[in-house]
Amino acid sequence: MRPTQITGRLWVLRDATGRLYTDIDTDMIFHNRYLHITEVTQMGQYALDNLKGWEDFARRARPGDLIMAGSNFGAGSSRQQAVDCFHALGIAALIAESFGAIYKRNAINSGLPLVTFPGLAEVASRFESGDLVTVDFCTGALIRNGAEHFQAQPFSKVQLDIYQAGNLFEYGKVVTG
Amino acid sequence: MGQTFAEKVLAQKTGLERTVAGQIVTVKPDRLLTHDNTSAIAATFYKIGVKRMADPTLSVIVLDHVVPAANETYAISHQATRAFVAEQGITAFYDVGEGICHQVFPEKGHVWPGAVIVGSDSHTPTAGAFGAFAAGIGRTEAAAVMATGEIWLRVPESIRVIVHGTLPPRVSAKDVILYLIGQLRADGADYCSVEFAGETITAMSVSERMTLTNMSAEMGAKNAVVEPDEKTLAWLAGRVSQPFTPVFADADAVYARVITLDAGALTPQIARPHTVDNVAPVTDVVGTRIDQVVLGTCTNGRLEDLRAAAELLRGKHIAPGVRLLVLPASREVLQAALAEGVIADLIAAGATLLNPGCGPCLGAHQGCMAPGEATLSTSNRNFKGRMGSKDAAIYLGSPATAAASALMGVITDPREL
Repeated sequence: MRPTQITGRLWVLRDATGRLYTDIDTDMIFHNRYLHITEVTQMGQYALDNLKGWEDFARRARPGDLIMAGSNFGAGSSRQQAVDCFHALGIAALIAESFGAIYKRNAINSGLPLVTFPGLAEVASRFESGDLVTVDFCTGALIRNGAEHFQAQPFSKVQLDIYQAGNLFEYGKVVTG
Repeated sequence: MGQTFAEKVLAQKTGLERTVAGQIVTVKPDRLLTHDNTSAIAATFYKIGVKRMADPTLSVIVLDHVVPAANETYAISHQATRAFVAEQGITAFYDVGEGICHQVFPEKGHVWPGAVIVGSDSHTPTAGAFGAFAAGIGRTEAAAVMATGEIWLRVPESIRVIVHGTLPPRVSAKDVILYLIGQLRADGADYCSVEFAGETITAMSVSERMTLTNMSAEMGAKNAVVEPDEKTLAWLAGRVSQPFTPVFADADAVYARVITLDAGALTPQIARPHTVDNVAPVTDVVGTRIDQVVLGTCTNGRLEDLRAAAELLRGKHIAPGVRLLVLPASREVLQAALAEGVIADLIAAGATLLNPGCGPCLGAHQGCMAPGEATLSTSNRNFKGRMGSKDAAIYLGSPATAAASALMGVITDPREL
């Protein structure tokens, strides 16, 4: 069983004016000029390299880190690389106000934890890159630096089942025996 | 309480009396659409440890993204797809030159009213123009559908968009959907099923309806649908052989949101760089210099679109310094446009004809931009760097706006010509 509560160092994706980025599209996450890459381990180095101010994210990220962004993270194409690049870096979870529909499916099915945080925009100023954040996937409870409590959405049943199995394929083996 | 289209069609597909938005259901889709990414999906499929597809008749494969192959890497990918097709006994395979998957898919009879379609491309909702539930999925789950023939889906909430009135001259379906995306924003329909209704939609051709459902993906829609009518049935006649039962939303269905638009008040719209929801009336950007115009793609590469452009370009010539790239959405469209003389008119006006396919839309070949250049395209995405340089600009507009702008060399209101 994978852990349902994780703690990690936070990256808050803000633009040059300090605003939480919204509508980060799949070309900003994993640009189309790298689409010929099919080996997951090769994808991490290009994560977010087309997002202004975050071009060097891959070099700064460490396994176990968390990412926070505004609404509609992963809008755009169905490319799996935009999810797999975070697997390659060992990102432990993505936290956003909302996610692009196909992006959400891609992430859930590949076992990458996505935490949907409605109302994040109103409290985003309380978070800083470097904060230590704990998220409980079962309850949606989110704690900043061990003290400040917030409420995000808990995982849906299918999301939790696939996450705990590892990914959609492992989950399929569980379901079909 | 009535059901929306999505609730009803997913209930029928799962043998339930009803489903409600938010419910997770497991369905056997009628078709799985994949394209050049089939080779990567096949690699994932083999990793599952399954030898044979659960049902090869489910699979529809169209090579369209980078065709003909731009280099050896793409050629190897296409080769792997052809080998997979042969090994699995997939009959619905359309190789280089047939066209864009979202156009070839209905042309070859793979969609019908009430069908459930999943596809490993974000513009799969295009097929909803025929009254189907059609949603984009990822590669991983496309491989899982090949292995199991099933997929889990969350029944989406629904938004009803009702369009009244008559579109003014040189204002088209593209302007309707651009305006709507500008209002709803890029996440305005996230995870939602969008139902288009109203007399403006009824008056539209099947081709125009496809423009609406195609671009609904740009406001986050999971699927978009137009109720089937006589036009739908006439279009599908001779293409679809199997029996089907159309599915209609109940009159008392519950919607997350109902939006009403007045088509009569609409003007030509433009999406400015670098997001699709950065929409303004064309009058706000007239005079903006452009280097290239792209007429085609799964959004606006059909016969009606080429005709709309030819009407403005016939007997004239595009401005010096502008490159006009024309790529019909399919072989069928190309043949019809050739027969009508539309292609001859466009070429005489200075157009460069590309083969049916996705072409420059995704920036892999055929018309990438240099830094500082600008393109006006009839396609559906203008993300930063999508068509070559990160320092290039993409504007999105209708075929009429594209043709008018190619003539003048600057973004032009087609109503002024």
